[in-house]
Amino acid sequence: MSEKKQQVSRRQFLNYTLTGVGGFMAAGMLAPMLRMAVDPVLQESGHGDLTNVSLAVEDITTEPQRIDWKVNQVDGWYESEVNRSAWVFKNDKDEIQAFSPICKHLGCVVSWEGNDQYPDQFYCPCHDGRYYKDGTNVPGTPPLKPLDVYESEVREGMLFLGDAVPREGA
Amino acid sequence: MKWNKADLAQYLEAKEYIDTILIPLIPYQMSTESELEKNAFQNELTTVLANDLEKELTGRVMLTPSYYYVKHATKEEEIERLHGWITEIQKQPFSHVFFLTLDASWKKHEQVLKGTLLWLPGMKSGDLHSAEMHRFVRDQVDQISELIRSYW
Repeated sequence: MSEKKQQVSRRQFLNYTLTGVGGFMAAGMLAPMLRMAVDPVLQESGHGDLTNVSLAVEDITTEPQRIDWKVNQVDGWYESEVNRSAWVFKNDKDEIQAFSPICKHLGCVVSWEGNDQYPDQFYCPCHDGRYYKDGTNVPGTPPLKPLDVYESEVREGMLFLGDAVPREGA
Repeated sequence: MKWNKADLAQYLEAKEYIDTILIPLIPYQMSTESELEKNAFQNELTTVLANDLEKELTGRVMLTPSYYYVKHATKEEEIERLHGWITEIQKQPFSHVFFLTLDASWKKHEQVLKGTLLWLPGMKSGDLHSAEMHRFVRDQVDQISELIRSYW
């Protein structure tokens, strides 16, 4: 075969073509199968996705207000809508703060000035847990950690919120 | 707290803080066809209300599995069975028992019940996923949780 270098025999030509076509077909069949096998890896993760909570930035005051919104959550096979809420306000430095209302003690829902005796504090009705306006827990009340903070961003004058991130204990 | 594994693990660690039980009372029946939809809707609504209420007061309230009963059954029998539940519940240190229902027939037997009846007139039909219903549930939950808090 090697003496006539450039010559391709009929047998070789057929071999090459058949391998080529066969390989192409095999690849066509295998690619989708492979794609399905690694599908979860390619899927965009929900983490870090920010949601428009329908609140304009100019409506945010220094007085905390409660907002509710929905996010899609994928839990294994199960896709569901989850309600989330936050207390949103501007602090002294004019920064937007968004706190999770979930009490760090046992998970009740806290409210701003929920008790007349403690103005300017977040109050948990279940076991009298309290938090200062910056979200840190009042020492001596049941919660041991500050309220979680939502990842937030302002896009075109609207507030977008992501996941609640825990903070270190005071 | 709900009746599931994760919440119960937390319950066992923080028993002294959870002193309230919430039992949804839900009737069902198959005999009166014209009422079927209404009953099923009330079942869904009661469940949604109970779940939201539990979410609001998680740290102090335990939501038990719903108590289902045949709508036409005599209430005396049901009360007896229900009191069996309560005897069981009191094996743990719970001091407040609340029943949540949309079925008005419990109202007449309120005095006999070993617990506080929360009867809501509710709604006959509607779209559970609509925005108005969402607001309605939100308002009801706010008011009921305030009522429950006044017992603590």
